[in-house]
Amino acid sequence: MLACNDLTVAYGEIVALQGVTLEVGRDETVALIGANGAGKTTLLQAISGLNPVRSGEIVFEGASLAQLGSDHRVALGISQAPEGRRIFPGLTVEENLSLATVNWRRWRQSIADDLARAFDLFPRLKERRRQLGWSLSGGEQQMLAIGRALMARPRLLLLDEPSLGLAPRLAEEVYERVRQIADSGLTILVVEQNTVLALSVADRAYVLETGRIVLQGTADDLKQNTRVREAYLGR
Amino acid sequence: MTDLIQLLINGLAIGSVYALAAIGFVIVYSATGVVNFAAGQFVMFGTFAGVAMLLNAQLPWPVGYGAALLAMALFGALFFVVLYLPLRASPVVTIIIGTVAIGITMQNAALLAFGSWPFRLPSPVESVNLTIAGATISGHAVAVVIVTALMVALLWLLFFRTSLGIGMRAVAQDIKAARLMGLKVNRLLALSWILAALLAGIAGLMLGPMWFADTSMGDPIALKAFAATIIGGFGSLPGAIVGGLFVGLSEVLGASYVSSAYKDLISFGIMILFLLVRPQGVFGERIQDRG
Ligand SMILES: Nc1ncnc2c1ncn2[C@@H]1O[C@H](COP(=O)(O)OP(=O)(O)O)[C@@H](O)[C@H]1O
Ligand SMILES: [Mg+2]
Repeated sequence: MLACNDLTVAYGEIVALQGVTLEVGRDETVALIGANGAGKTTLLQAISGLNPVRSGEIVFEGASLAQLGSDHRVALGISQAPEGRRIFPGLTVEENLSLATVNWRRWRQSIADDLARAFDLFPRLKERRRQLGWSLSGGEQQMLAIGRALMARPRLLLLDEPSLGLAPRLAEEVYERVRQIADSGLTILVVEQNTVLALSVADRAYVLETGRIVLQGTADDLKQNTRVREAYLGR
Repeated sequence: MTDLIQLLINGLAIGSVYALAAIGFVIVYSATGVVNFAAGQFVMFGTFAGVAMLLNAQLPWPVGYGAALLAMALFGALFFVVLYLPLRASPVVTIIIGTVAIGITMQNAALLAFGSWPFRLPSPVESVNLTIAGATISGHAVAVVIVTALMVALLWLLFFRTSLGIGMRAVAQDIKAARLMGLKVNRLLALSWILAALLAGIAGLMLGPMWFADTSMGDPIALKAFAATIIGGFGSLPGAIVGGLFVGLSEVLGASYVSSAYKDLISFGIMILFLLVRPQGVFGERIQDRG
């Protein structure tokens, strides 16, 4: 469904991704693990069209994304819950959710079914639907970020460190929802520093170190891998 | 007492014009981060668009106003394409200097086209006078207040009841997140410039009959609109409205009860007081809203 071929992305002089090749198949949940600064966010932003690609290509459903702006990529079905949630602070929960439907919504078309689905998944959001984004707790903001990404009716969901800054119990709760979304048949690429959580939902995973893929395999294989155990699982 | 009623209405009317100019200024600032130093010249262009359509071309009222506002909308779009798009990757200071340069160019272009002789822009309701509690009140002043109130209501509907307006607010709060949501960000940014130009156009058309239409009128308006946003709270829309009305009232009342020589001193004195004592203005900028 998604393929990155020999992708290099740089910020001026700083090369953040170097020759990254990875693939996400239909209905798969793939994790990209890496320490802070490894280039995970850079990759997701490149896929969403926020970072220009220096060389290599990103292919979605067989077609190159090179010429497409971020709005077209969302319309194709690539939706992201970004690092740090990036909830619109001065918009209500419901406005945050409804905004994400622009790519498919026609004039006056109802979004009630999509809202109901998001509220089913995250009942807390329904209670808070009229509250402004900034007033939500970190966990609620993360749920809103994921719910908002789903409102775009994606075919590929990109999650950037959904556990970041959350207490362990909350992070697990968020990952239960991620698993639920994955089980419903959506394709997911999740990026994480929290290796345990990421490997708990992933079918396959890649390990990114300073802009290069250094390891890949099924989640079960990586859990057994000595290098992963020492560097990322801390045992 | 009758004097006071007259003064209040006139102060509210001129304050409405400042408020509209200030709203346009704030919309552009929140959406793009650009402090538009040409904002006063936008209003001057609005007045002279009226001069061109109503006095020079002798168009009937509705057509003349429509044509003037259409010209302003096009001008806003042009400003976005010619100034903002090429410079948006540059430091904000560069863009701000660009707006100063364009402001000067606008003033000189108007001077070339219309000369330095002032015009009197007519008003469709100038022959209407109302009597309230014994005071004679200009129909134009009342119309200005009503039109401004209507505009504020329409803006509220746009920003809080339409997906277009919610998208504009989203872009102002977090442009990167707005891109990730699939919003057509450039279109929404262009729309904020167009909206600002339209509001300036309306302000200019309403100001023309109150002042003489003079190509150097832009600078004092820019100063007043700027004072309005400082007093109301930089970046705040309700603040722009309250600040604009406040500056208008203090100017008219100050000219009458203190001295017309000091009328600007009063509003700018209060602005400086705010800068020193309460720099966030009456409404303050809710930091949370800006992400
Ligand atoms: N906007 C930017 N400008 C310059 N360098 C950046 C920028 N964003 C990220 N980087 C650099 O790129 C590298 C990868 O960053 P990032 O993709 O954010 O990593 P991760 O998400 O894995 O923590 C880091 O060295 C970081 O300093
Ligand atoms: Mg990151």
